Amino acid sequence: MMRRTTNRPRSLRHFTMVLGSVVGMLALAAWTSRAEAHHSFSVFDMQTNKDLEGEVIEFQWTNPHTFLWINVTNADGSKTRWGLEGMSPNFLGRRGWTKNTFEPGDKVKVVVWPLKSGEPGGTLQKATFEDGTQVVNFGGSGGG
Amino acid sequence: MLRHVWFIAVFAAAPLAAQKSGPQGDTWENIAKLPDFSGLWEVTRGGGPRGGGEPPAFTPEYAAKLAEFQAATQRGEIEDGPTANCVPNGMPAIMTQPYPIEILFTPGKVTILIEAYAQWRQIFTDGRVHPEDPDLTFNGHSTGHWEGDTLVVDTVGFTTDTSLGNQGQRHSEKMRIVERFRLAEPDRLEVVTTISDPEALTKPFTRTAAYGRHRDWNLAEYVCQQNNRNFTTDDGKSGIDLSFEEK
Repeated sequence: MMRRTTNRPRSLRHFTMVLGSVVGMLALAAWTSRAEAHHSFSVFDMQTNKDLEGEVIEFQWTNPHTFLWINVTNADGSKTRWGLEGMSPNFLGRRGWTKNTFEPGDKVKVVVWPLKSGEPGGTLQKATFEDGTQVVNFGGSGGG
Repeated sequence: MLRHVWFIAVFAAAPLAAQKSGPQGDTWENIAKLPDFSGLWEVTRGGGPRGGGEPPAFTPEYAAKLAEFQAATQRGEIEDGPTANCVPNGMPAIMTQPYPIEILFTPGKVTILIEAYAQWRQIFTDGRVHPEDPDLTFNGHSTGHWEGDTLVVDTVGFTTDTSLGNQGQRHSEKMRIVERFRLAEPDRLEVVTTISDPEALTKPFTRTAAYGRHRDWNLAEYVCQQNNRNFTTDDGKSGIDLSFEEK
């Protein structure tokens, strides 16, 4: 998978993403009442907003979903790899994201809807980088 | 009696009768006279059979299918549908996915490129009629004509593997879909979709979807099998495959 192609500062790189997210948020209301595109959300616990903090292993810019893989350090010091499903590159790419939005080694705080099964996975809702910039995945409505 | 016969004749023929008016896009020269449908279109509201409006009126047989589906969902026996395994929605739901579509005119044919699941539809506007015994497909066999500024599309020949959008809402092989495409505003495409099915529905139902124009967008690849970690099994269970290979 292609890695970073630019050396622009993180904050600059994120500026267009955040802008795209704001525009996207306005459109969100239109999406929420719509049918899911690809799958139902029955496997996710959408009542729970789980906070995780970790380091990016890989960002898969793929259909039908992007996947963000992060290493999360647990309270006892052990590490768990979480797989976080996001919207498609088609959807996110039109809203300012790129394949380089996350890069290996990035430290991120994320909010997810965890899997009901208890496996370390979920739907990515939003991610905050060390410099405070944030990207939003628009929850699970539309594009899923 | 005569009036009655007349009514039946008109009603039965209605979906087929092409009330053509204006340019039909039979030549490149005449295509230039058609409304400008160029650019990409993304649904802004509506949402096909599920979005608003009077619910479909099912015949007892198909109402029972829906009730059976709902009960199985309640019991947790159905958690997801075929699209989780990358099977395209088929008509009519494929037209209202949260991905753009593009509508292309060539002489005698309108082609709709649908980004979701990388689908396309071809609508023959050269005056041909449907095959007498069409193959049954996800997107059906479409013929179309122009009534002034409105493209009217008639589609038949559907596999019953698909639903009306909501998985429990089934249809028969006799489903017929009539769509009316029109620019309601310069950058807003309106599609009024009427679905009839003599076996599944007691009367036709209509839904309206609106699409916004994005001239600066391009279609993007959508290979659903690329990294599909969602799945649903034959017994209705669904989940996510979290297998991962460290690079």
